[in-house]
Amino acid sequence: MFKKEITIALAGNPNSGKTTVFNNLTGARQHVGNWPGVTVERKEGSCRYQEYHIKVVDLPGVYSLTAYSPDEVIARNFIVDEKPDAVVDIVDASNMERNLYLAVQILEMGVPLIIALNMMDMAESRRYRIDFNALAQEIGVPVIPMVANRNRGTDELLKEIVNVFEGKSAKKKIKLYYGSELEEHINELEELISHDEELSRQFSPRWLAIKLIEQDKEVLEKIGDKL
Amino acid sequence: MSREEILQAKDRSIAHLKRIFGDEAETVIAEERYGFISGLLKDVLKKPAIERLTLSDNIDKVVVNRWLGIPLFLAIMYGVFQFVFTLSAPFMDWIDTFFGWLGGYTSGVSPDWLGSLLADGIIGGLGSVLIFIPPIFLLFIAIAILEDCGYMARAAFVMDRVMHKVGLHGRSFIPMILGFGCNIPGIMACRTIENPKDRLTTILINPFMSCGARLPIFVLLAGAFFTANQGLVVFSMYIIGIIVAIIMALVLRKSILKGPSGHFVMELPPYRLPTITGVLVHMWERGSLFLRKAGTIIFGVVVLVWLLSSLPWGVEYASAESWIGQIGSFIAPIFAPAGFGQWQAAVSLIFGFLAKEVVVGTMGAIFAAEGGLLGGAIASQLGWTPLIAFAFMVFCLLYVPCVAAIGAIRGETNSWKWAGFAALYTTVVAWIVATLIFQIGRLFMS
Repeated sequence: MFKKEITIALAGNPNSGKTTVFNNLTGARQHVGNWPGVTVERKEGSCRYQEYHIKVVDLPGVYSLTAYSPDEVIARNFIVDEKPDAVVDIVDASNMERNLYLAVQILEMGVPLIIALNMMDMAESRRYRIDFNALAQEIGVPVIPMVANRNRGTDELLKEIVNVFEGKSAKKKIKLYYGSELEEHINELEELISHDEELSRQFSPRWLAIKLIEQDKEVLEKIGDKL
Repeated sequence: MSREEILQAKDRSIAHLKRIFGDEAETVIAEERYGFISGLLKDVLKKPAIERLTLSDNIDKVVVNRWLGIPLFLAIMYGVFQFVFTLSAPFMDWIDTFFGWLGGYTSGVSPDWLGSLLADGIIGGLGSVLIFIPPIFLLFIAIAILEDCGYMARAAFVMDRVMHKVGLHGRSFIPMILGFGCNIPGIMACRTIENPKDRLTTILINPFMSCGARLPIFVLLAGAFFTANQGLVVFSMYIIGIIVAIIMALVLRKSILKGPSGHFVMELPPYRLPTITGVLVHMWERGSLFLRKAGTIIFGVVVLVWLLSSLPWGVEYASAESWIGQIGSFIAPIFAPAGFGQWQAAVSLIFGFLAKEVVVGTMGAIFAAEGGLLGGAIASQLGWTPLIAFAFMVFCLLYVPCVAAIGAIRGETNSWKWAGFAALYTTVVAWIVATLIFQIGRLFMS
């Protein structure tokens, strides 16, 4: 049967169980190499699901997507440059306040995102009650509860990856609103960027605008090179 | 130019926002994001009114306790070595018996040179390294369990205060702990350290952390010379490594790498029951490296040692007149002040630069023996005392890390200068410490 190729990237904070999810998805079909130019390990694996061949790239575990550490730059450059069909962000359900910070930033990059809410058992043992539907509604992306170290939720995640790839997943464009003052400037820059064909093809204009206001070193260099 | 326009607009915005918020726009954006998340979670997440102290919190009261933390860390490490030794001993005996049988069988192979290559060179050399598969894999299992259950993060946290005293922070201890498996991932893990001088210091002290490849040397010599206290002696190597690393960090921070150190908030992930697959995968990731090395670099060196021991033609195998004996005799005097000035020791240390297991492999090929016999041969033919063996172990622990680790330092610092410095200063430190141990120890012994 004809196989369709899907590429996904696994993102997540350190200690969110990302490696376990990666192992659950890919089993023994893994390949370890290096990210170009640096010696950070690049893990890649693949799996088959229905008639799809899914390539899984394990991004370095990071808390944020600034330009302060090589790990963060690698993670976000992969998303920007290689434009995976979906990013799966592994979120520790017992520590959502901090873990969602990364999810919000990925969302801003304008790539299809799936939140894998991992370590549900841990959250339950602390008697947290989590309303997945509300989370999915408000953040505008699918949310899959998981307990990766007992291999629970892997199938549901695979199904959702296919749904997102086929455009069958209900999604809303949710914009994080930064307050009228910041928004005014973000919008102005966004407007200018979207007139630049090359830039807006490569980056989400809104993400680039926000990164410029954050004075992100690496993004500034990239734009400077293109002058 | 529209790009120009974008950048100008950006500069205007940043200046304007700074006037309004009195803070960098970057900070305001981060705050807004956290604000969004806390608003979101109000609708999504209901926490119990009073969060009970979780089991994790309760364990941490003891484990990261001000007074108990470090003793507990040492006790756990000691327990790990006892576990490794007790459990691996019978397996090592089996492998030893197997190679003994194989050696006896192959030495009869004709022609004579082939029999010698198989029995003396390959089985003596490679066998003497392969016999350490059980302790190495068990050590990697133990490290994987400690990492996966969340204890290693605590160990780093506990060491934070000590590390602060030497101008680093607990964050630097994580690469050091990784160095117990292999120095290369330890050196690479330093890239998470933002402050460049902190990072360089942590890279330069990492080779002192005793990696798995050094374990065969320690187990062999501890078994031969310290039968009653094997676990304790090997444990002491790891502690000496940590102490020397911390002292050298202090020295480096006060001399060539002066400057303020960065800050980092450390995370204590909750304790988790490690999964069997997870532990086995981690063990295999590290252990397979050892097997691959045995099949490639160690095998190659062993054959080379055999060749150098057999030449020039007609010489008695591995005698002082053989080529290897001549090379060793030339260098050996350097090590005389540290007690191990025999050419066999000198040669094995030189080849050990390729991979530290090779120290054992070279000895195995020279003495054409492995396992318990090799230990006995070192004691009787080199005339070593326990003191000399200890000084030699310390030298092996501290001297230039293997060529791959030096390559990693070169890659991470992007400088041959620092790689060369690392190779040189570790060897000097090793020579000084080994000499001190031998000379001071001799005063007490006599």
